[in-house]
Amino acid sequence: MSMDSNTPWLKLHDLTFNRGERTILNNLSLEFRAGELILMTGQNGSGKTTLLRILAGLMKPRRVEFEIAGKRLNWRQSYRFLREQVCYLHQHPYLFDCSVYDNIAYGLKRKKLSRQAIGARVAEALELISLEHLAKRNCQELSGGEKQRVAIARAWAIAPRLMLLDEPVSNLDKRSRAICYDLINQLQQQQIGVVYTSHEPQTGKLNLNRHIHLYEGELSTKSLETECPLTVIELKKGNVGK
Amino acid sequence: MESLSAASYQALYLLFTGDSALWTIIGISFSVSVRALIYAAPFAILTAFMLAYFTFPGRRLLVSIFNTALSIPAVVVGLTLYILLSKAGPLGSWRLLFSQDAMILGQIGLCFPLLVAMAHSALQASDRRAWETALTLGASPLRALMTILHETRFGLIGALVASFGRIIAEVGSSMMLGGNILNYTRNIPTAIALETSKGSFAEGIALGMVLLFMALFLNILLGQLQGKGEVTQ
Repeated sequence: MSMDSNTPWLKLHDLTFNRGERTILNNLSLEFRAGELILMTGQNGSGKTTLLRILAGLMKPRRVEFEIAGKRLNWRQSYRFLREQVCYLHQHPYLFDCSVYDNIAYGLKRKKLSRQAIGARVAEALELISLEHLAKRNCQELSGGEKQRVAIARAWAIAPRLMLLDEPVSNLDKRSRAICYDLINQLQQQQIGVVYTSHEPQTGKLNLNRHIHLYEGELSTKSLETECPLTVIELKKGNVGK
Repeated sequence: MESLSAASYQALYLLFTGDSALWTIIGISFSVSVRALIYAAPFAILTAFMLAYFTFPGRRLLVSIFNTALSIPAVVVGLTLYILLSKAGPLGSWRLLFSQDAMILGQIGLCFPLLVAMAHSALQASDRRAWETALTLGASPLRALMTILHETRFGLIGALVASFGRIIAEVGSSMMLGGNILNYTRNIPTAIALETSKGSFAEGIALGMVLLFMALFLNILLGQLQGKGEVTQ
């Protein structure tokens, strides 16, 4: 599907999520464009992970409307589409108890590709993360940085339109962080949208397009830091409960 | 009464010379218990999965019921099914009493709660991220379930082995529901009970040895499988 990269392919309106009596997200509206790298900052418990899980079709909010290809759909009508188009990576990514190759091939097998096509795509993914030599290694034996790279490659292999990275570098050393930042920039160049969450706005060399900030559930507009000099896109601000 | 050593010697002789009566009993025992496990396991594991991964009204009560059912004696399961399956019982028209099918039903009743409780423990300890990761990579819920079962395979195999161990060695429900009919419903535990009551220890010891060897074999197998599932450094 060809689409102008400035046209949002996914919009969400009036997102509200409650946990018990507490309102975590209230009346948020956001939109996503191809190849856009969005930084989402916020403290612990501000609702970052909840928002990502809703976007990935893994969690049902109290109220939301998605706008996909001009159609307004509720969560029940759209979660399958989201699971196909959006890939969520946990803060500590889960790798299945099998080889690196099989982990990367997992999503491709669900797409019912031929064995040759899967092999070729996995090879590309391994090349992307420079871990060709570990293809047969069980994932439980990898270092934290390698696990993070395998998880990104596994998500990249299924060619999602949006990748949601939940604090992907929080536990990595400087070198592994740099590798991850390079990888994320490559995703952006391939027109894969990325939402990247972090406690802090300090994001190294990421080519950010937008900055969303959640503070105790409240959505606020943030200007991009001087080291990320790109346009600030105004967020539609909702009234957010506490 | 024959001496223990003489009876043991005769027991080994019966086993290794392929005594047909003895091996028929062993065959019935394994056939009934394996079928009971095959019928019970998919439903039990699915139940355990629902209990571990989904929240619904009455979930805690169900967990408590299955845990309580672990301590129900085999003879009570046998008695309950006997009443249901007897001619005057509500399921009397099925004409299952004193058949292998009735024994299978009894063994399903015995192993189902054990399977659910042990599988629930294994699945409860599993990582929810595995489920979400499978879904976000495009897996259907059924495929994601299969992935979770693969990730928890060591605990689930343990549950299957423990359940098989329970039903192949139980005597109460098999005796009541099968009737201990030679070449039809006589299995290892009911045969041991019968031979012992007759004072014929050799056959009883031989069958007991089969159970012991089986327990040893299953434990070694389980140890091997779980050894591969050790915590990574």
